[in-house]
Amino acid sequence: MLSNWLLIGALSVFTYLSRIIGLEIMAGRELSPTLRLYFNYVPVGIISALIMKQILVPTGGQIAISFPILIGCLATAITIKIINAFLPSVVIGVVLGLLARYFLVG
Amino acid sequence: MAEKKGILKTGFMEAFPLAIAIATYGFSYGVLATQANFSLVAATAMSLLVFSGSVQMVTVAMLTAGATSASVLFTAVLLNLRNLLYGAALAEGLAPAKKWRWLLAFGVSDEPFVLGSSRFKKYGPDPLYFGIVVGTFYLAWAFSSFIGASLGNQIDPLKWGLDLAFPVTFIALLVPGLKEKSVIATALTAAGIAVGLEYLLPGNQFTIIITGVLSPLVGLYLKRRAQNAF
Repeated sequence: MLSNWLLIGALSVFTYLSRIIGLEIMAGRELSPTLRLYFNYVPVGIISALIMKQILVPTGGQIAISFPILIGCLATAITIKIINAFLPSVVIGVVLGLLARYFLVG
Repeated sequence: MAEKKGILKTGFMEAFPLAIAIATYGFSYGVLATQANFSLVAATAMSLLVFSGSVQMVTVAMLTAGATSASVLFTAVLLNLRNLLYGAALAEGLAPAKKWRWLLAFGVSDEPFVLGSSRFKKYGPDPLYFGIVVGTFYLAWAFSSFIGASLGNQIDPLKWGLDLAFPVTFIALLVPGLKEKSVIATALTAAGIAVGLEYLLPGNQFTIIITGVLSPLVGLYLKRRAQNAF
């Protein structure tokens, strides 16, 4: 519990620093366009990695695909492409994932 | 005075639709934070103090997956690097705020940057507008995470499929942005690297960090190549 609070504190400081440093120090300086582009792609890379890490479950020194999670992810991806609404797409993915879990396991 | 009122109104009206979207993320964050064993107070405090959707979402996802604090911090620094760009780009527009810049700096992030920079481009520096936008987002974010964390604390995660909510939420955040070739390539590369690393070392700590550092290089390369073709 304490470590959660320490982590929250550290994240607050780091995040604020990144904001104020940009505003106060980087202002008026020309940042390399290459670096600028690189940073733009970082969130996409991290989010994709997080998704794959959730789909692949480590079991006894090996990895296995979790089909309920994979099915949920595909359902959400297709839904948000079609209706472009965040929350309904999440709900549909969770419901289909739950159904998959129920029918695949039970 | 009339002008100030006008700015207040415009800022709020332009922030409102995005604030609703932010509230839905905030709600999801709140629910997911309880999965990472955050108390209601801790989950809400994080929203009040950090006020960053990407950092908070990634933090709770990594903690749920068993990551150490050190790897969470490193990933957060990596995610935060783009704030340097936003801050630099917004500096001129916020300059008239003088000392208040230290407070407004708290709002330097994805959505306020989009609204703020387009406002400054059209009307010149306008710290008040930026303050209203950030204030609206802040309230939406804090309140919705509180609601999400209150509900998340009360329901049985497995029964309601809350473990599924993580990957599915990230998919919903990722997919709408997959339009440009360079972005799609980054996502695919990241997925490939992550699978490779997990295959070699199942459940290891470094998958997210290594992928986060390496995969943007592919997007960068493709974008650069496309730019040079002209």
